[in-house]
Amino acid sequence: MLVERGGAELKTNRVILGRTFVLLAVCGVIAFAALSVRLYDIQIRKHEYYEERAVEQQTRQTTIAASRGTIYDANGKILAMSASADTVFLSPYEMQLYGEDPEFVASGLSELLGVDKASILEKTLDTKSWYSTIKTKVEQETAEQVRAFKEEHGLKSIHLEADTKRYYPYGTLACQVIGFVGDENYGLEGLEAQFDSYLTGTNGAVVRLKTERGTDLLFNDFEDYYDASDGSDITLTIDSNIQHYVEKYLAQAIADYDIQNGGACIAMDPKTGRILALANEGKYDLNNYLEVSEKDRAELDLITDPEEYGTKLNEALLRQWRNKALSDTYEPGSVFKIITLAMALEEGVVHEDDTFYCGGAIPAEQIPGRTDPLKCWRSAGHGSQTLAQAMQNSCNVALVNIGMRIGAEKFYEYIDAFGFFERTGFDLPGESGSIWWRDEVFLDADNKSQLAAASFGQTFNITPIQLITAVSATVNGGYLVRPHVVEQITDQSGQVLLSDDSAVVRQVISSETSSIVRDILERVVSEGTGVNAHVSGYRIGGKTGTTTKTSEEAEGKPKEYIVSFCGVAPADDPEIIVLLLLDNPTNESGIYISGGAMAAPVVGGILSDVLPYMGIRPQYTEDEVKEMNIQVKKVEGYTVSDAQAVLESSGLAVRVVGGGDKVTGQLPAPGGTVSPGTRVIIYADAETPEGEVAAPDLGGKSYNAAKAQLEELGLFIRSSGAPASVGDVAVTTQSAPPDSSVKIGSIIDVVLIDRNTLGDY
Amino acid sequence: MAVREYETKRRGEAPEDAAGSGDGSIAAGRGHLDLPFLVLTLIMLAIGVVMILSASFARAYYTQGDPMRYFMRQTGFAGLGVALMLITSRVRVSMFRRAALPVMILSIVLLAIVPVVGAKINGARRWIDLGVTTFQPSEIAKLAEILLFSSMICAFKKRMRTFKYGVAPFVVVVALLVALLYIEPHISASVIVVAIAAIMMFAGGTRLRWFAACGALLAGGAYLTVTRFAYASERITAWLDPESVSGDQGYQIIQSLYAIGSGGLFGLGLGQGRQKYLYLPMEHNDYIFSVYCEELGFIGAILVLALFAMLIIRGYWLALHARDRFGSLVVTGITSLLALQVFLNIAVVTNMLPSTGISLPFFSYGGTALLLQLFEMGIILAISREIPVSGTG
Repeated sequence: MLVERGGAELKTNRVILGRTFVLLAVCGVIAFAALSVRLYDIQIRKHEYYEERAVEQQTRQTTIAASRGTIYDANGKILAMSASADTVFLSPYEMQLYGEDPEFVASGLSELLGVDKASILEKTLDTKSWYSTIKTKVEQETAEQVRAFKEEHGLKSIHLEADTKRYYPYGTLACQVIGFVGDENYGLEGLEAQFDSYLTGTNGAVVRLKTERGTDLLFNDFEDYYDASDGSDITLTIDSNIQHYVEKYLAQAIADYDIQNGGACIAMDPKTGRILALANEGKYDLNNYLEVSEKDRAELDLITDPEEYGTKLNEALLRQWRNKALSDTYEPGSVFKIITLAMALEEGVVHEDDTFYCGGAIPAEQIPGRTDPLKCWRSAGHGSQTLAQAMQNSCNVALVNIGMRIGAEKFYEYIDAFGFFERTGFDLPGESGSIWWRDEVFLDADNKSQLAAASFGQTFNITPIQLITAVSATVNGGYLVRPHVVEQITDQSGQVLLSDDSAVVRQVISSETSSIVRDILERVVSEGTGVNAHVSGYRIGGKTGTTTKTSEEAEGKPKEYIVSFCGVAPADDPEIIVLLLLDNPTNESGIYISGGAMAAPVVGGILSDVLPYMGIRPQYTEDEVKEMNIQVKKVEGYTVSDAQAVLESSGLAVRVVGGGDKVTGQLPAPGGTVSPGTRVIIYADAETPEGEVAAPDLGGKSYNAAKAQLEELGLFIRSSGAPASVGDVAVTTQSAPPDSSVKIGSIIDVVLIDRNTLGDY
Repeated sequence: MAVREYETKRRGEAPEDAAGSGDGSIAAGRGHLDLPFLVLTLIMLAIGVVMILSASFARAYYTQGDPMRYFMRQTGFAGLGVALMLITSRVRVSMFRRAALPVMILSIVLLAIVPVVGAKINGARRWIDLGVTTFQPSEIAKLAEILLFSSMICAFKKRMRTFKYGVAPFVVVVALLVALLYIEPHISASVIVVAIAAIMMFAGGTRLRWFAACGALLAGGAYLTVTRFAYASERITAWLDPESVSGDQGYQIIQSLYAIGSGGLFGLGLGQGRQKYLYLPMEHNDYIFSVYCEELGFIGAILVLALFAMLIIRGYWLALHARDRFGSLVVTGITSLLALQVFLNIAVVTNMLPSTGISLPFFSYGGTALLLQLFEMGIILAISREIPVSGTG
């Protein structure tokens, strides 16, 4: 019985024991081995993958904005600087979480920030969002008000984030040079774009752990701090005073001559390539770079189609941001004759005492490849002329002859040597390349027509910066320099990272040749077609240029001109070279469209202000002393006879009004300067007239006629430009526009030009 | 060899099937409770309570305002549970055998009423609210199942090899339980109930061929469940590719993997975890092991797995040495239940298996579950007392 039971029992027991062992192995060993393998996979093999993602969600990174570097002019004046600003943003999620009233928050922020309330309310609807920007670049003062509003009402949904804002203290000054930065603090134009990597610096950050709700962790003050390193500072070669003069004259010229497509003016130190000023019209305010000029605005406001509006707005913006002096190519025309002259002298194919005959045109058969005669701008011809006279006359016929003597191959060698085939390497973005005939066309022995035209600056396109660089080489002793605006870049520890690159690229012509070129250019201004650039007391050299846009003419569009003048001073040892271009003047102004009549007096005006500023002392010739404007002395309280004696001895005429003994008033007011021979009015016991008169239109009038007409109205004249003693001068521009009201006794500035010089040269 | 030796001893000392007979003689044979099992249990409990503090303080602070809230409650229940375990360990094993049927009837009644009176959480009624605490009747049902099946196996003896005894009665009970759980609904409890039944039948000697048949049946049932219940199929999708699922399911498993993965070899240090700051849902109950892995790393995880494995292996060792078959089967059942819960929980938080609501024994927050857990350990300890001293050598 016992054995029997035991047998069955034994068998059952054995089964149970065996199966319990199986369970032990499966549940106690295999299951845990499987889990261990799985954990190894997650914790060791995929550790970095999961850690990265976990950290990404667990941390909050607050940026510490690096301050962008400052841009200084040559005198250390600040042209661009950064200051702290804040980004104000809302967290609609927190707004809902803490039950804050969207209406209240929206109206508060709308009032403080000037942002449309409805648009804020709309943003509060996205309650899953933690970050909805309300306004960027909020200035400190406003940001403080927002902070106060937030504190006062205990609002947790409003946040401020540190950022920086760029300020341009001079607004429009040198705008295309400096450029601007966008909302994300990246440089978008000009220096700001070109040297962005230097200016930017490196943002720092504070990394903190956060809970899923975005708050700091309990019992955990983990914080990782990465310092920001501020951007480097840039010092420019540009002198903001010179820049200011250049911009003033350029803007005046644009207005006076009714210039349609703007203009550009570069002032440079010809010996080093340091840019002293670089201006383009129209300008824009760097602090509001998305705002277009009033004129463009008015045109845009008339457009109703949104697509067309967008296109036009874009065009207007690109136009105002464009650096014409670098980006626009043009046919330089007669200014280029300086280059032809220099290469011919250097090659020895012409000499100062050579004579050239101009009969008004060169017959077609004398120029292989040409089908019609090549006309000089003066159809009557210039007759027989020396080399200097040919330049003074800007005679095309003579220059074509000189070009022929050089020959196409040599000509292109010099073009290359003067740097016209490549970009100058200027340190601003947007420099264009030039356009020239291909070698096989230009060097074709059977067709000299390209060479002929190129000799006086036509049928090729170059940039203004290329031209001024090449002309500099012709007057500075023959050295090609690299134009540049950056003097140096210094990091925050004072270490210089980049410094003035005034190195000479190569010598193109000899210093002797250069000296002859300087001499001839001085004579162009003192005796020739550049006379309107005359500045009393200074030796100015220069060359005019008038170009019709041949490509547009060929397309049958109305004839358009570019008038230009390149001036250097002092002519014996140039310290400044100025190239001015005015793109498309109209007949509206009534002034003859030419570089001599339009551009030359403007450059003269610029130099008349800039040369004294640069510390170059005027040296007047005897003639100039006679022509000098005279300061009116104060004679009030003098007896009439004493007053007369004092004024007359200073070179002024006197008219007495009233019968008293003592001078009770005078016009013009003492201290003002007027042209010599001006008739000053003194009042003896008579009332000094007050009030206003309408300014007369003096355009085209002779100096004497203009003077008389002004005196009739109780106004006075002060002239600049071509000397009044030159036979046939006429007023071209005047400081008070015709019909504008001016106070009696005012002194009107007029610019004189020599009427003999009118012509397309 | 060891088995044979053991059997020989058993035959000598307990010539008859001891179950339910001669209480006095059994009491006379009682020795000390099994110290290794007790110590391992207490170690797991201690680690678990410390982890509750670390894992729960952030949410306790943000939602209850008191970082110690969950920890204090759990510590209280742990103390109560240890007392309960020690008391239980002194109960005679025959008491459990007698209680088996009444407990099962109680469970069935509770399971039947829970869909009506139960507190509704996340769309299911699984909890009965007792005011001070809540409990899941399904937890009691699991224990009742182990006790009842053990005593049934002992009663059926070699008839377990037949279908009539070895399969049919068990399937009837399981079907009843699963049907009741289905009403709640409570898939994870159903899975465990079925798995425990299979283990008990397997240990009890049911012929293996029936497992193949039942396996096929279960696979069909599982397939139906997954396709019929939207929430189940969502979980399958989330399991296969958690990062592609935008909803809570995917989020939960991703946060768990971030926690475990970012722990690396050594972990961030006890208390230094970051995922518990409201990123990881259920960080102090179902997903507490993720926090543990984040803070103590792979080394800490392996240590805990090793301790669990030791506890479980010791459990089976006690089953092999139990004085009678009933005790042996109960220990096997409870140990297997423990192993099953540990495995399923960790497999879910590591995304080896689709997410189901299974808590980690000794770790997960939950007062009554912990009490019951320790009560079960007490039963094993009570059985261990009856192992003859010589037999434990």
